[in-house]
Amino acid sequence: MIVTMTRLRVVGLKRDLDPTLAALQELGCIQLLDAKNVHPGLTAYVPAAEQRELETLGYLLVRLDALLALLPPQTGLAPEPAPETDLASVLQADLDANAPGLETLAQQRHALSNDADVLPNYATTLRKLSRLTPSMTDLADYETVALLINRRYSGVLEVLEREMRTVAGERCTLVSDQVDSDTIGALLIYPRAFATQMQGLLGRVQVNQVSLPDSLRNVPFADALAHIERRLQQIPGEIAAVDTRLAEAGRQHQARWLAYRQAVQRRLEQLRVRASLGETEHTFVLVGWVPERDVAAARQLLEQRLPQDLVIDELAPSAEEAHAAPVLLEATSVVRPFQFFVRMLALPRYGTIDPTVLMALFMPLFYGLMLGDIGYSLLMLAAGLVGYRRFAAGSGLRDLVYFIILGSIWGVVWGLAFGEFFGSMGHDVFGLQPLWKERSAPDALPALLLFSIALGVVHVCLGLVLGVWQAWRLHHAAEIWERVGMLVGLVGLFLLVGVVAKRLPAGWATPSVVVVIVGLTLLIRGLGPIGALMAPVELLSTVGNILSYLRLAAIGLASVYLAMVGNIMAGRAGSLLVGIIIAILFHALNIALGAFSPTIHSLRLHYVEFFTKFYEPGGEPFQPLGGR
Amino acid sequence: MDIGLLAIGAGLAVGITALGTGYAQAKIGAAGVGAIAEKPESMGRVILLVAIPETMVILGFAVAAMIMLLLGGEGA
Repeated sequence: MIVTMTRLRVVGLKRDLDPTLAALQELGCIQLLDAKNVHPGLTAYVPAAEQRELETLGYLLVRLDALLALLPPQTGLAPEPAPETDLASVLQADLDANAPGLETLAQQRHALSNDADVLPNYATTLRKLSRLTPSMTDLADYETVALLINRRYSGVLEVLEREMRTVAGERCTLVSDQVDSDTIGALLIYPRAFATQMQGLLGRVQVNQVSLPDSLRNVPFADALAHIERRLQQIPGEIAAVDTRLAEAGRQHQARWLAYRQAVQRRLEQLRVRASLGETEHTFVLVGWVPERDVAAARQLLEQRLPQDLVIDELAPSAEEAHAAPVLLEATSVVRPFQFFVRMLALPRYGTIDPTVLMALFMPLFYGLMLGDIGYSLLMLAAGLVGYRRFAAGSGLRDLVYFIILGSIWGVVWGLAFGEFFGSMGHDVFGLQPLWKERSAPDALPALLLFSIALGVVHVCLGLVLGVWQAWRLHHAAEIWERVGMLVGLVGLFLLVGVVAKRLPAGWATPSVVVVIVGLTLLIRGLGPIGALMAPVELLSTVGNILSYLRLAAIGLASVYLAMVGNIMAGRAGSLLVGIIIAILFHALNIALGAFSPTIHSLRLHYVEFFTKFYEPGGEPFQPLGGR
Repeated sequence: MDIGLLAIGAGLAVGITALGTGYAQAKIGAAGVGAIAEKPESMGRVILLVAIPETMVILGFAVAAMIMLLLGGEGA
């Protein structure tokens, strides 16, 4: 359900503003409104004095967050108090004293990780070239350049050698060899005196040189590989040493900085909400939405903290203002996970129906009906229970898994009704008999289709009834006419179908047509000027909504036939092992589809078929001061 | 009526509507993924939009079931 909200107005002396806001933050149950909108005569609160504090704290928070991100996560930290006064100065001094050392450590850590990532690539390349290097280790005044060239462009080496000799004469050499199937490695050796001309030549030829990292700039090429291998052995130890120092810094600073961070965030929130306050010369005025159940607690705390200095009263909102109130959903723990599915579409508007309970009732039922297999459901249930323990409370994944668990329980119930255990395996191996109908039997189809449509009728009509009730509460006359007309039109159509299917006497045909016409007339009344055109379309569209529930049977049948095909193919494999593999593959595919497809389709039946009859999206989430 | 022709008719009823649904879902899905990349909170609405064309194939299934149940009984 949507929690009932009340508008609370607090008027006090400006000197009491900070303690008032601090108390409201502590309560965490008021979402401030722009007071000038409620009382147009009020002057906007101008937080001139606090503007500098706002900017300073904003900057310090960014610095603090950047430093906290450098520290490894710590557990079991003892909470530390934040300074009561002069938060900005204390924090500034703290950061100035400790940030440089920490930043240096973080830079070292970054450089070492970078080397650990990059040096193995250099080592691989140098290893490829190593077979070319022994002959030139004793060449003192010579410079060496390594090249890696794709085999397709091997012709470039001849060009390069010719050009080198033009530049350096006979005092240069080029050795090359295939280093792998695609690459040719080459070493160019020439006197240092020709270094500039050779670099120019290499630039003109446009070949890729193997360039070594900065740390190896002064290391002779032939020694580079050994140097890299040595560095790669040293780096883990150096990283561990830096990590130890970072962890030590974390133990020293993290708890205190987290406390500062919280204090800064609270103060920043206090400063930012000032823009929504109103003021007179000596007083401030704040107005906000408070859950009705929390009003007494809010009043009590404010009166306790600031006795006789505050005027607190409740303001009755107009219907329009109430419609714009923020939305806080409340539900018992059994149905609360289904709020995830409601939020996934959009929050309902304040004052309308919260469909969470209805989703909790119907979604698992539909899911189970589509799955309808004891074996699959038990596997899904087991996976769901494991997932439920693993995912954090309140996370979307845990809510999803909770739905899968409930759906799987329904899946077992429907599996018993259909006598399915991994498709027909239950019947073939254990002699399992259906309590209602075996879905794969030819005579089961009409019953399944009718049952699906019956569920559709119940669900869609329930949506329409809720729509009528909601429109009644909100005094939306047109919507009442429209939804009542739709219900009456549907009843007429059902009667007509009964007559055509010879379930009702032929004499009922005329009254049925009259009921349809009455329904259409009410629909036209509700839809307004375009009603005559739209009413038949709307009625047929709702019939389409009901027929859409045929998917409950269709998805289930697809699953049954896939399981059946798997079992038949496994039985005809001719070998026990191959048969088991085929069966596992088919049933695994079916389980994967069984987890995904019924979820999406149950969701769709709610979003498209059910919600369109009553649901009013567009609610703004309740975001109280102090964020609870 | 020949049961083979009925089966072909039923198959076409599901198959052609499935193609239509697939075509529509491909277009909506591509746009939807783009929308989710920009606004992750639009996930619910995108699921809703992607699911809308499925009504076509469900109605195709209903027609196929009617062909087999209403006419298949006479043909058999």
